[in-house]
Amino acid sequence: MAYTELNLELSDEHEALKENVHKFAVEVLRPASLDLDRMSPEEVIAEGSIYWDCMKKMYANGYHTALIPDEYGGLGLDPLGVHIVFEEMSYGSVGLTVSLGVCCFSAFFASLIAEDHLIDNIILPFVNCKDASIMSCWAITEPEHGADILMPFTSFFNDPKITQQLRAEKKGDQWIINGQKAAWVSNGPIATHAALFVGIDKSQGMAGGGICLIDLDQPGVSRGKPLDKMGQRDLPQGEIYFDDAVCPEEYMIIDPESYEMFTDITLATANGCMGAFFTGVAQAAYDLALDYCRERVQGGKLLYEHATVQRTLFEMFMMIETSRAYSRAALQYNLSMNPPATQYSIASKVYCTEAAFKVTSMALQLLGGNGLTKEYPIEKLFRDARAGMIEDGSNDTLALAAANLILKSEE
Amino acid sequence: MAVFESTEKMYEVLGSLFEHLMNDPVAGPKFVAANLIIKFTITDPDGYIWLTDEPKVICGDADLKPTIEMILSGDSCHRFWLKELKLPVALAKGLIKAKGPMPKVLKLLPLLKPAYEAYPDIAKKHNLPIG
Repeated sequence: MAYTELNLELSDEHEALKENVHKFAVEVLRPASLDLDRMSPEEVIAEGSIYWDCMKKMYANGYHTALIPDEYGGLGLDPLGVHIVFEEMSYGSVGLTVSLGVCCFSAFFASLIAEDHLIDNIILPFVNCKDASIMSCWAITEPEHGADILMPFTSFFNDPKITQQLRAEKKGDQWIINGQKAAWVSNGPIATHAALFVGIDKSQGMAGGGICLIDLDQPGVSRGKPLDKMGQRDLPQGEIYFDDAVCPEEYMIIDPESYEMFTDITLATANGCMGAFFTGVAQAAYDLALDYCRERVQGGKLLYEHATVQRTLFEMFMMIETSRAYSRAALQYNLSMNPPATQYSIASKVYCTEAAFKVTSMALQLLGGNGLTKEYPIEKLFRDARAGMIEDGSNDTLALAAANLILKSEE
Repeated sequence: MAVFESTEKMYEVLGSLFEHLMNDPVAGPKFVAANLIIKFTITDPDGYIWLTDEPKVICGDADLKPTIEMILSGDSCHRFWLKELKLPVALAKGLIKAKGPMPKVLKLLPLLKPAYEAYPDIAKKHNLPIG
């Protein structure tokens, strides 16, 4: 079911993009994600799994390059186009969308620097990849650092007593990397490359970090078991271990001088995209619930003919429309301003994930007992939405980070 | 003391740099195809430089709507084109602020190579400090 588009200035290209991605999400991603949801994490990433079919189809369509400029052969979408693609894909599966989204992390970071070796060795091979054989991940969280590693410009980010567990040490013209990233690294079990956030200068605390673009196919890298979790089971996550792993010096693209700001830019971009993802989840739950309410008879009339159901549907509708309008505005702003105003992206992430949780819960309630069963996709959407309130920074901690930014901006 | 002694001097130096970029046989046509209007808002000395997709370099204010606006000082400009100031560091320190769709800003970066190559000689010709 298509929602009414409130943006009267959407271009023909945006309309076509929305329609095509929506169709792909409904026909390919949703049925696959329901199958993947019932598999063990090991089965999800096993050779021949439908996960790989989905990823290959997304790569073949070029969706993996949504954030890469067309100068390199990427889709070169404007910020609104990025939102449309991510919302519509998440309508089919937020887990698969997150998985695809982090695939581009190395190439996206490389495009921020745009030096020849990065263009030739990272961006172009990724853009030209059509079979999902090149996949990146955003390797930032650590066993002892969850959301706190994502809070630049707070007082503890510069506290020397709080530093990254994963360390990088310069030896000659290489960085030697030792330590571990947490089980929450999306694509951790399968990624071929990583945008790896490392600790370099302990005296600066977390701010003394760096970002390197590292090849994970090397002897010093090993993986943990893929994580078995409640929601987004179609998103492979797991630990990555580094034991004297090697990164050439020219691939340490961000050093402590600019690490804090780049963590902030990353957070602004990632949280901005999360708003789009979870608008899609909420819309999917709403559409399924509305369809159900048009068919199910209780008390001698269709569900939607009951006033309380109408009120519930309206509340869901309001939250989704608010999510879409705000998350579009936040993503468009922060993909257009440097430095970003990250509090707006965080507000988008926190609002949209909480709205998606409420909407999926209300949808489940409307389906009654059927909502609890695996015969209907609602319970999966509910679990997926619940995970969203923790991934990419728990909402509680992000709210504190945003409050800090708001107070600073008003000083 | 600012690297550029006056707005006029800055226009002369950076104007010739951007003319060079626009006339480059590879970057010039790509810039035109990119369909961008870029506004540099420069401080100390104060001034504006526009690059349009005609292609044309305009030094001074103009009644155009920029696709991308870059806000930076004259000294940061000089150091940026000498490659002494990397973009991540400039952004991190607030030395360069950018307004405009990020994909379009990113698209610009690989087109700037001829300007990086030409600037040391242009700066030297105008007796500006190098290194």
